[in-house]
Amino acid sequence: MRFNRSNLALKKDDTNRFLPWIIAFMTLLAALSIAGLLMLKQISQVFEYNSQDSITIQIPAGESSDDDEQRTSKMLVALKKVDGVVETTRVSNAEIKKLLEPWLGQTAGSETIPLPQIIDIKIDRTSDLTAEKLTRILGEIVPGTMVDDHSQWLANLVNTLKSAELIALCIVFLIALATIGTVIFTTRTGMGIHWQTLEVLHFVGAHDEFIARQFATRAFIVGLQGSAGGILLATPILYAFEYILKNLGSGLLPKASLNSSIWIGVSCIVPVVAIIAMMTARSTVIKTLKKMV
Amino acid sequence: MTEVVRFENVGLRYGLGPEVLQDITFGLEAGSFHFLIGPSGAGKSSLLRLLYLAHRQTRGLISLFGQDTADLSREKLPNIRRRIGVMFQDFRLLPHLSAFDNVALPLRVAGIRESEIKRHVEELLVWVALENHMDVRPPTMSGGQQQRVAIARAVISRPKILYADEPTGNVDDRIAARLMHLFEELNKLGTTVVIATHNESIVNEFGRPVLRIDAGKLKIPPQEGPHIRKNEPKINIRPNSLNQKETI
Ligand SMILES: Nc1ncnc2c1ncn2[C@@H]1O[C@H](COP(=O)(O)OP(=O)(O)OP(=O)(O)O)[C@@H](O)[C@H]1O
Ligand SMILES: [Mg+2]
Repeated sequence: MRFNRSNLALKKDDTNRFLPWIIAFMTLLAALSIAGLLMLKQISQVFEYNSQDSITIQIPAGESSDDDEQRTSKMLVALKKVDGVVETTRVSNAEIKKLLEPWLGQTAGSETIPLPQIIDIKIDRTSDLTAEKLTRILGEIVPGTMVDDHSQWLANLVNTLKSAELIALCIVFLIALATIGTVIFTTRTGMGIHWQTLEVLHFVGAHDEFIARQFATRAFIVGLQGSAGGILLATPILYAFEYILKNLGSGLLPKASLNSSIWIGVSCIVPVVAIIAMMTARSTVIKTLKKMV
Repeated sequence: MTEVVRFENVGLRYGLGPEVLQDITFGLEAGSFHFLIGPSGAGKSSLLRLLYLAHRQTRGLISLFGQDTADLSREKLPNIRRRIGVMFQDFRLLPHLSAFDNVALPLRVAGIRESEIKRHVEELLVWVALENHMDVRPPTMSGGQQQRVAIARAVISRPKILYADEPTGNVDDRIAARLMHLFEELNKLGTTVVIATHNESIVNEFGRPVLRIDAGKLKIPPQEGPHIRKNEPKINIRPNSLNQKETI
């Protein structure tokens, strides 16, 4: 239909054939990076929250379970009197067995293996209570008691996770730059191919805006198509990744999952890419046309 | 009478080359009809390029419609160009667009409503006897048909000035004569016309004032004033004779 083509003064050219594929590939990379970034964020948030003020106290197993009971209660009472201890939580035997299961297997369930007793405490970091001081105090009550301050190694872990997040962010940024570069290049190539047409458009009184709109509209459509394709490619990969993470087992890692915020983040790529492509094409055309008379 | 074009000591050089136009001074009055003649390489096309703003002069002053072109910002150029119709020596039709879309281009660029475009373009294509070729693309048209599409595109937006570069270059005398009558019709409607041509017989036959250019210099300034209209064309045609359905 000739009347529907009203603004299509430009013929299709080869640049439009490979651009969607490049954009799809860029989107795929961006989607994986952004999903990875958001998952790392989930994990580091859990760690960060836990590391703030918690310390774990481990009391060696006694002769019998009665003995264990007695030592633990004594310890709980003692802890209440220590300056800087805000809260104490006894970890039940069942929970301890669950934690140990990955290492000991089902034998952890049997009563025959002596288990240490564990107490989680929260301390006030502004007080002068330290792990060393606590070890000294508690060692006098039950010799061999271990005090485990998570803050140090958790802080290291969180820092590592944060730098991984930063790297993912940089990758997304580089992908955006590469996409912009590709759109600039293909727009310039397209303008070279259509130079004669552009001249004629000028002679019949077309504003630069009009010409830019032709390229921008097409870049927007190509951007939408390409990035939607990229998301389609990314989806199975993300699901596979999640499956692997879930089956890594062990309570070691906090669970990261493809929750709605990740899907929202990933699907935002589509309009963002289309808009970036459109604006890049538009400004490239306007800049290039300025060189014409 | 008001001048639509004024050149004062205009010079043009391409890049660092020699001046291909030197000290060009002349004016065109609204509603005038001129031939631009001169040997090959004299600078006719170059002069036209200055006239339709495809190039900027390297010196001198050009004003169009009373505006100094040096003062025109890029944003204002399209509005000036919309008042100028150009028929290029090589037509410059867009090969991927139909005859209809080619002719419609100046209107679409100006943002005219599609229903109005349809009416005007169809009317004009009938006028140049191409009503049966509206959907045909230029590459599959004859030279004469392409020429008529090019003319239709040049005049569709009712330009104040019409420039034609060698419009009769590659066609036989009969077509040439008909094209000339078409230009005269437009001129009668008030369009200022400038036609660059080699064809001396047409120049003689139509007896219009002549701008002669030789080696980049304007030799005979246009004869201005009321006598411009004195020389009526020898063959006087009825306006509707252009409506004939015969193929050109
Ligand atoms: N784009 C260009 N770059 C450099 N020189 C040019 C360019 N166009 C024209 N010229 C030179 O300018 C001079 C005038 O050329 P122009 O095309 O204006 O002549 P013309 O009178 O139209 O000739 P013809 O009758 O053959 O069409 C010539 O010497 C030509 O070589
Ligand atoms: Mg020429």
